[in-house]
Amino acid sequence: MKLLDRYEEVVGPAEVQRLRQLAARLGDRRIVHVNSTRSGGGVAEILGWMVPLMQELGLNARWEVIDGTADFYRVTKTIHNGLQGLPIILRSADLDLHTEINQANARRLNLEADIVFIHDPQPIYLPRFTAKGKVGRWVWRCHIDASRPNRSVWKYLEKAILDYQATIFSMAAFTRPLPCPMFLIPPAIDPLSDKNVSLTEEERCETVRRLGVDPDRPLLLQVSRFDRFKDPLGVIAAYRLVKPYQPDLQLVLAGGPADDDPEGGEVLREVMDRAGEDPDLKVLLLPPDAHRTINALQRSALIVMQKSVKEGFGLTVTEALWKGKPVIGGACGGITLQVHDYHTGFLVHSPEGAAYRIRYLLRYADKRQRMGRTGHEFVREHFLLTRHLRDYLTTLLCLDNPGEGALVA
Amino acid sequence: MPSIEPFALFDCSLAHQAIGRSCSNLRDLLEALRTAPDTVLEHHMMRCALDDHFELYEFPNDLARWCWDALGDRMLAEQLGLVDPYQHPTLAAVRATLINMIEDRLWGLERVPWCRPGLELNLVSSRIIAFDTGERMTTLAGLAQALPGMSVRSLFFHVHEARRRRKEGSDDFSTWLGQIGAEPALVARLRAVDFYFLNLNQLRQEFIDAFRSYLADPSILLKVTA
Repeated sequence: MKLLDRYEEVVGPAEVQRLRQLAARLGDRRIVHVNSTRSGGGVAEILGWMVPLMQELGLNARWEVIDGTADFYRVTKTIHNGLQGLPIILRSADLDLHTEINQANARRLNLEADIVFIHDPQPIYLPRFTAKGKVGRWVWRCHIDASRPNRSVWKYLEKAILDYQATIFSMAAFTRPLPCPMFLIPPAIDPLSDKNVSLTEEERCETVRRLGVDPDRPLLLQVSRFDRFKDPLGVIAAYRLVKPYQPDLQLVLAGGPADDDPEGGEVLREVMDRAGEDPDLKVLLLPPDAHRTINALQRSALIVMQKSVKEGFGLTVTEALWKGKPVIGGACGGITLQVHDYHTGFLVHSPEGAAYRIRYLLRYADKRQRMGRTGHEFVREHFLLTRHLRDYLTTLLCLDNPGEGALVA
Repeated sequence: MPSIEPFALFDCSLAHQAIGRSCSNLRDLLEALRTAPDTVLEHHMMRCALDDHFELYEFPNDLARWCWDALGDRMLAEQLGLVDPYQHPTLAAVRATLINMIEDRLWGLERVPWCRPGLELNLVSSRIIAFDTGERMTTLAGLAQALPGMSVRSLFFHVHEARRRRKEGSDDFSTWLGQIGAEPALVARLRAVDFYFLNLNQLRQEFIDAFRSYLADPSILLKVTA
């Protein structure tokens, strides 16, 4: 069975057929995606399914990953933090290192293509160092909440964007005036991946028991990298505010390492310190391929948290909604696209707000279930990979046919 | 007598583009309405129907929703919710109506309403990419049968976009049914549907209900599950 055929059961045969029809209008276009890691984080996950599906749709798609040193990833993490608005210091030597590694990768990678999608800032300077004529169009795909970037970081990236013919952001709020078109494509999840596929009750219970979680007691869960922007300490604070009212409550903070995130270890230590000796609070560092484990945890949770203070999109929110879980999320970035008060969960602005909404959802099982059903349908309609692919194909058609009027392809 | 073409089912997709501009208060919105490209106005007043999330939104356009949710200007939101762009002959006329409404509101206010940070209206333009699905319907029953499984994007293309595409201002379904000699009452009923007020799933149901009354075998209209 072909990959796409499997999605017919989830979204219906017509949706899949429409993708084929749109893709047919693009022929065997040569497409290259470039990012900074093959595992860990949402971008690698998206490319993991998107590239094979594009290939199956007849596009000549490939995925290249840049190489970098530990110092390079320290700089790119600083750039990432700055793009999300943290006050940061970038020395000129840091910027030189960033461009040098981009130059080296431009020589090493096979970028010959009609369209090259550069994901996030790590490889953003590749066009500058790639021979003219090798690439038809460069598109920068920014997955990060860049709504309030650090000025010096934005100035540095803006210079690189001049070499691009288009950009893609997850939300309009993340954009600022640029000299090229700024397409908007929210990301999406793969419903048939190990992370999201249905599990048997036996597998679910056995998996969480193995992690020391009692499947019969209420579970709060946050799945995310150990990153300050995800506010794991705020989640612990909220849990502690609720625990006296719900003594059997458990909290799991589950995250994994990512090759391109050198701060993860430090934040993990802070989280472990704060967690202390509470037997009902588990901090789990999972390997990047622990998809079924995360799946089991999400399906076992009563409420899923994503209490970020900055968030590009928050695929973990999408995953939780798809599994019928209400989500309490920080009111920022892409979480606001997914969490709608009283419909799919609650947006919160503080640990106290999170604690209040946890207590509400623990109290009203019927509302929890209704929100879960709404969330599942909401994701089916808006945040599955078929919609994501359709948006990419539509963007490609727009780039091929510049203009404003309706296009009959 | 010329032969009648079968109904050609189209689907469409929207390419959303940010213009790097946002509104934080009512004056910003007025300025945007005066200067933003037509494609922005089209998006926030019409094509936003394709972004609708179930029935989460009470109003049929982004401007009314923003005034209600972010500015807290309930009165203006109610007025904007009633502006039906499809009843205006041109986008320029829609623009003039909106500008007049907001100017009037600002005139009567002592303080300009602002939104808090994070609730800005980020202006978006969109482009519609339509394509022929290759599916053809030759009878009323065939069209009715296709309705429950039709994508909401197809509905948007054949109803909302058709009103602007066709000189006579009707949707593609009723136009074609008129051509094949369907019951004039059915044609009239479809044309009378207040489509701008409904979200796309509600619109589909309204059409199904209309077809049901005029079909010899209404059971072909399966319950909508999409």
